[in-house]
Amino acid sequence: MLNYQDAKKVLLIGAAGGLAQITAGLLSKEHPHLKIIGVDSRPIDDIPNRPQVKIKRINYTRGNFEKLFRDHKFDIVFHLGRLSHENIGDTSSLAHRLDLNVMGTSRILDLALKFKIKKLVLLSTFHVYGALSDNPVFIREDHPLRASIKYPELRDVTEMDQIATNWMWKNQDQVSTIVLRPCNIVGPQIHNAITRYLRTSYAPVPIDYNPMFQFIHEFDMAHVLIQSVDQVPTGIYNVAPDESISLKDARDTVGQKNLPVPMLALAPAAHLVKRLWSFPDYLLDYVRFSCIISSSALGKHLSRDKFRFSTKETLELLKLD
Amino acid sequence: MDFLKKLHIKPAPDSQFDQTFEHLKKVYPNQDPWGLNLKRARNTLRFIYPLYKHYFKVRVFGQENVEDRPYMVTSNHTGQIAIDGMLISTAFAMDIRPPRILRPMVERFVTALPFVGTWTAEGGSVLGDRQNCLNLLKRNQSVLVFPEGVRGIAKSTQDHYQLKPFTQGFYRLSLASKVPILPVVVIGAEEFYPWVYHPRPLIKMLKIPALPLTPNIVPLPSPVDIHIMEPVFPPEGLSADAPDKKVKEYILELEKKMKRKIEEGLKRRRPFFAAHKGGQ
Repeated sequence: MLNYQDAKKVLLIGAAGGLAQITAGLLSKEHPHLKIIGVDSRPIDDIPNRPQVKIKRINYTRGNFEKLFRDHKFDIVFHLGRLSHENIGDTSSLAHRLDLNVMGTSRILDLALKFKIKKLVLLSTFHVYGALSDNPVFIREDHPLRASIKYPELRDVTEMDQIATNWMWKNQDQVSTIVLRPCNIVGPQIHNAITRYLRTSYAPVPIDYNPMFQFIHEFDMAHVLIQSVDQVPTGIYNVAPDESISLKDARDTVGQKNLPVPMLALAPAAHLVKRLWSFPDYLLDYVRFSCIISSSALGKHLSRDKFRFSTKETLELLKLD
Repeated sequence: MDFLKKLHIKPAPDSQFDQTFEHLKKVYPNQDPWGLNLKRARNTLRFIYPLYKHYFKVRVFGQENVEDRPYMVTSNHTGQIAIDGMLISTAFAMDIRPPRILRPMVERFVTALPFVGTWTAEGGSVLGDRQNCLNLLKRNQSVLVFPEGVRGIAKSTQDHYQLKPFTQGFYRLSLASKVPILPVVVIGAEEFYPWVYHPRPLIKMLKIPALPLTPNIVPLPSPVDIHIMEPVFPPEGLSADAPDKKVKEYILELEKKMKRKIEEGLKRRRPFFAAHKGGQ
């Protein structure tokens, strides 16, 4: 297992994201000897400066990305650069996402092998399992990835996950790789679809379904990312607290009023509000059926008190801002 | 509760529910990942319990066989719709101490239904899935299974109280989890719908699990007896992955015991419009 003391340089892919920024902050605080290079294909102007962290805007599929690996001998790579499904619906964005998530990940894996990275931590998502009516509760890591059965827009997520996991087992002798599939990450700095959904007043909520959800606070997730480098061996791990909460209770906890609509009307309602804020099509199923994951595999390596925030605290913190 | 008043059924006193739910709150201190909602379960029980007591006049036998431990409660399936499951669950929540929320394993299509899926989940039901069942048993929950499946509940009149062959999954799960099977026999539920015909060719054509054709839509007030038998402990040395033939021997033995209990229960049952005397 890699020890942080033996590492010098860290590459943080997807550095413009909220989770990556928290991770960079925590890493520099906990391990001040590390030099962190953050890269993102998105604009990086608003990222606060930290003395240990250098941020660059780079497209992962271009040649200068390889130069970065060549110039810096990275010991650890965090791949948090999966582009989410925020602005779906337009073909160019879909093509861009596929290029970045699938092709970009392939490239990162190739470079990790070529430049002998010691530890690679890749952030996938629990969405790969899909929200289906026949999901068991506490889905384990060996469960089939069924996300793209109904929603082709999730194809890139499952494909990226599968590429990474196949690669991980094939090259486990050379690169120690961790694929993390966290539940819903929420927090004031995270701007994903579920955080936005929870924080929106009068968002359409189904009256005929009330699925269970798991939420992890952004800081807890960043801690898991950091701890997995020196405490977790190669493998795929779900990340979720033991607690769960129903959709309606979650929105009540955040203090938002609901617009109750039957599921049949939710899709058109979502289509209407899409003009105001992003509501990806696949989310329709996640507000209908539960997708509760088991993180017992990760629990074998990380301490029981790995999560500082309870579900209630996590959701209550969304009221701030 | 107005509906109950129209049927001249007295609602149960709050104190009875307070006692039960005080205990259940300790068992379920956090939200249940399968969606059980104690507040909603209480509301549902407040409606069902008076029907259980005064409409179906349920008597429970063999309460002494139930200890404070998880069980795989295994019942015969009768009555066209899952009222038998609802009555067994009510018995375990309200009449058997310590109270527990049984987790009935439901068919896959139920969890997908609007309103119904959520309502059943909030009352404790879970998807009938092997992993789900094991996870529940590991968490010291008692599950309710009907190993006859849909074939059991969807019987035509001439097949009433004929036990259909059990599937093997439940027994293998008991072997894997070492949780004992608690056999339960329900008598009286077949008479909810005494005249039923299942048009098999049409069922096959429509690709639906059952289509009971019956003159009465509302279940008749047939008095129900729930017989709880002695628990069956999974045999030592028999693996959960043992060949079908070996597991089948034990299942046949269980089926025989339950058939005998059905025969006994049929002899002891009350007349159809039995007056409720308040006891057994």
